[in-house]
Amino acid sequence: MRRFVLRRMAYAALSLILLSVTIFLFVRVTGDPTVLLVEPGASQADLEALRHDLGLDRSLVVQYGTFVRDLLHGDFGRSFYYRMPVLELYLSRLPNSLLLAVVAMAFSLIIGIPSGIMAAVRVGGWWDSGGKMFALLGLSMPSFWVGLLLILFFSVYLGWLHSSGSGTVLHVLMPAFALGWYFAAAHMRLTRSSMLEVLGSEYVKLARLKGLSELRVIAKHAFKNALIPVLTLAGINLVLMVNVAIVVETVFAWPGIGRLLAEGIAFRDFPIVQATVLLAGAMIVVVNLVVDVLYAVIDPRIRYER
Amino acid sequence: MSVSPAPSPSPVASAPVAWRLPRVNLEGLPTVPIAILALLIFLAVFAEFVAPHNPEIGTLSQRFRPPAWLAGGSSEHLLGTDHIGRDVLSRLIFGARVSMIVGFMAVIFAGVVGTGLGILSGYLGGWVDQVIMRITDAWLALPALTFAIFLAAIVGPSEFNIVIILGIVYWTRYARVIRGEVLSLKERDFVRLAVVAGCSKWTIMRRHLLPNVLNSAIVLATLMLGVVIVTEAALSFLGVGVPPPKPAWGLMLADGKKGLMAGYWWLTVLPGLCIVMMVLAANLLGDWLRVKLDPQLRQL
Amino acid sequence: MTRLLRSALCASLVVLALAAPVRPALAAPEGTLTWAVHISLAPTYFDPAETPGLITPFMVLYALHDAAAKPMPGQAFAPSLAESWNLSKDGLVWEFVLRKNVRFHNGETMTAEDVKFSFERYRGAGAKLLKEKVVGVETPDPHRVRFRLKQPWPDFMTFYATPATGAAWVVPKKYVEKVGDEGFKKAPVGAGPYKFVSFRPGVELVLEAHEGYWRKVPNVKTLVLKVIPDEATRLAALKRGEVDIAYSITGPLAEELKRTPGLTLKPTYMPFTSWLVPVEQWDPKSPWHDRRVRLAANLAIDRDGINQAAYLGLAKPASSIIPSQMEYFWQPPAPGYDPAQAKKLLAEAGYPNGFDAGNLSGDMIYGSAIGEPSVNYLNAIGIRVRLHLMERAAYYAEYGEKKLRGILYTGSAAFGNAATRLESYVIGGGRYVYGSHPDMDGLYSEQVNETNLRVRQQILTKIQQMAHERAMFIPVMETAFLNGVGPRAEVHGLNVIPGFAYSAPYEDLKLRKK
Repeated sequence: MRRFVLRRMAYAALSLILLSVTIFLFVRVTGDPTVLLVEPGASQADLEALRHDLGLDRSLVVQYGTFVRDLLHGDFGRSFYYRMPVLELYLSRLPNSLLLAVVAMAFSLIIGIPSGIMAAVRVGGWWDSGGKMFALLGLSMPSFWVGLLLILFFSVYLGWLHSSGSGTVLHVLMPAFALGWYFAAAHMRLTRSSMLEVLGSEYVKLARLKGLSELRVIAKHAFKNALIPVLTLAGINLVLMVNVAIVVETVFAWPGIGRLLAEGIAFRDFPIVQATVLLAGAMIVVVNLVVDVLYAVIDPRIRYER
Repeated sequence: MSVSPAPSPSPVASAPVAWRLPRVNLEGLPTVPIAILALLIFLAVFAEFVAPHNPEIGTLSQRFRPPAWLAGGSSEHLLGTDHIGRDVLSRLIFGARVSMIVGFMAVIFAGVVGTGLGILSGYLGGWVDQVIMRITDAWLALPALTFAIFLAAIVGPSEFNIVIILGIVYWTRYARVIRGEVLSLKERDFVRLAVVAGCSKWTIMRRHLLPNVLNSAIVLATLMLGVVIVTEAALSFLGVGVPPPKPAWGLMLADGKKGLMAGYWWLTVLPGLCIVMMVLAANLLGDWLRVKLDPQLRQL
Repeated sequence: MTRLLRSALCASLVVLALAAPVRPALAAPEGTLTWAVHISLAPTYFDPAETPGLITPFMVLYALHDAAAKPMPGQAFAPSLAESWNLSKDGLVWEFVLRKNVRFHNGETMTAEDVKFSFERYRGAGAKLLKEKVVGVETPDPHRVRFRLKQPWPDFMTFYATPATGAAWVVPKKYVEKVGDEGFKKAPVGAGPYKFVSFRPGVELVLEAHEGYWRKVPNVKTLVLKVIPDEATRLAALKRGEVDIAYSITGPLAEELKRTPGLTLKPTYMPFTSWLVPVEQWDPKSPWHDRRVRLAANLAIDRDGINQAAYLGLAKPASSIIPSQMEYFWQPPAPGYDPAQAKKLLAEAGYPNGFDAGNLSGDMIYGSAIGEPSVNYLNAIGIRVRLHLMERAAYYAEYGEKKLRGILYTGSAAFGNAATRLESYVIGGGRYVYGSHPDMDGLYSEQVNETNLRVRQQILTKIQQMAHERAMFIPVMETAFLNGVGPRAEVHGLNVIPGFAYSAPYEDLKLRKK
């Protein structure tokens, strides 16, 4: 078991190193950030001064060396656009992203789990198709569109909710719903199939034989067991929600990591992109690692599968 | 995603026969989604003959004409015109083609690469598996949309590049799932028998493994179609999607969203409906196929 | 599960509750003006020394800081921290007389040392040029600053006292030396009408009136600048009254804004021109080499139509690539819209059936508003082009490296005067110049050190006339920057300072009395 965990950790580290090289090179082939930091038409001298200022006139190897060296000291560099330490920026945005993700996850589970259960219990019924359609609709509508419709209805037409920004409970509702709805379908599907699996298992049959009411069988025996994979997926999706809410955060001016990343890419702010992607990668790799290890603990057969 | 509970042999995939069409019982066939997809494919193929106008050329003075049934609309432009006077109906029809090309090609591209690497990785194991899986991990750690924006920035936006971008972004989803399937398949008797019978690795992969993972790949593909099309729209919103003046639904939606507040609802509602219809249809078909072909494949 | 779900819900509610009081408790609402800003605000905007050559930082500088001289309503170079200035007869020394008893936000008095210090630490756009031309800064007494030039430089004020650089903006020397550059950006102190209160990078900036401001006591107590990247969301926020002024609202959203009772649409004008340039004109084999073809393209584009569609008629059709408000601008005859004549010219040039002109390339953000209709117009007379939009960074990189062919969209809002524009876009060696005419290059180098303004004006006019006669460009639009103003702002400060896009001067802003 210990060897398994160590090996998995080594893999995770390897993936992150691979990611750091990839992202470092990737941002640098996307173009010259200095062009974007000045008006088109700026003088060549200004461009060169800026390039020197940002350290972009050094060779790639030197740049990567500095990047890794600073990284090992916990320094993600300074943003080209904001001219401040990236980590500071990142940490100031992280709580917002976490809040958004948690509320979005709540929405997504509130939509996904009941509709998944109904779909499993009443296969082909009205609830099955209705719930399924609603969950799938979230997957089918691009989130910027959902966002705009929400703003038009709740902010402009009804005047109930803030169109954008952060600060109060009311601010988070719309972006969280737009984000959560997109993920609801995945949770619905997994709930459904895992419920079906559990409902077909021996012990549920046994519970039925004992004469328990259908509701109890579903609520107590089946649901509890079916939930494990769903919560696992939810855990992974939560990490995704923290990191990929680019569109939703842009529409609602939500000050999270997604918007930071979007700006980073638009401005070719290499340090921001490197930091956000690496930290996102680290989160995803760690969650995957935890999931792998947990599954290995539950099911020892997995340890031998490479 | 890495939730990969040890895959148990799926009942449908048990027959070790090479190359055969999936045997499907047509019960509960989702007729409406299939009809929608068929209609869209028809429009995509025959866009030139169906569309009343050139989708890329418009007259500025004719802009923002409402659909024919509203006041100010005319039968000249049944579904109205956009911000530079292009015919919305024609753009939607040609948009079906762009979306189909982008959607299908990207899904096929991702599917071929992902399935191939998944089989290689799962069957060969060893360092091949290690290399492929580590790349997959690093890939998954790059959020898909981020990655797509990057690629778009590097290669520049064009219809063809979007296909490549989406393909490159999404192949890992196949690779993971297919590898899991292969891992369990290779312990099965028919594969062992083939090894004993002296089949080469290549033959085993091609003749015994590929046909048996095809079901999963097809199911994944239908489900991915929706993801790809919605991602394409998001790329347009962020300004790195299919470039104007191409009539892509995602682009129309992103362009038209400005008009929504001004009352030009047809510019967003119509392409939005097209996207929703296509993605819903693909998903419903995919869900049905999944239940029929491969009940084990649970996510996505 | 229910237990889990419940605890998850509780957890999220706790997070919500904790997050709730983040919104700062502001003074009475009538004392606050709020903006929806279209670009991300960065701490680098608080330090005039880092002005990057974009206009955006001046949105913040006008509030926090003050300059020796700066553009103000009706004046290109208005005395601010300096009461007056003059140029010595030999054209080598600029002497500024400073205002007395000006205090920074921290109570320190502003002196000549601060002006000198601010000039010397300036390292933003144009810094190299300024420092080449200025050999020394002297402070004969606490209220007098002398800039000594290496040789006569007619453009000194254009670079020193306009948004072309931030060198004239004064920061407190003692404070900066005490807290350092980093500390200064965290808690900036200036001599402007508003004091720094709080800042969340890229999210929100809060400022409070500096009652000791020399010009007047500001009317509005608190200013809040909120970053809202999406245009439609900005309009929604304005409609709902969350903000009082929303920057950059275009196309149909601007129409809706205009229609909404209580809201007003306010254009501002930056020195921002958009034009198309057939870069293949330098290739003798290309149809674009023929002047008649370029003239035809000029006649093919209905600038009024584009103006109506994209800017509600509030922009100005352009006939030059130089913005009309710039110094040394020469006004060419208005460009006509005459597709019939355009076709005739094409036929004369040997293309009666038109020709395939490849791509019209542009950047995604600004290229589409002008590019999409232009493609339609050019196709209408037989110049068959396809629109090719690229991501902004990639576009300007390839443009600068001269990798693009066909017709290119260009838009520039760089500050300066006609000479600086010509240098970037017309004269050989410029970053975006694919080819140039030697006679024009010669004229240009003649005027560089010319101190006689009349002669300089004549030379620059001549170059502009030549560019026009040779139809080197297809100027399209002097773009308007459209903004929305809500019912609470009585004096919004938009379009008061010529060439400035944003609300200013802040101390003049006023809320409507209820």
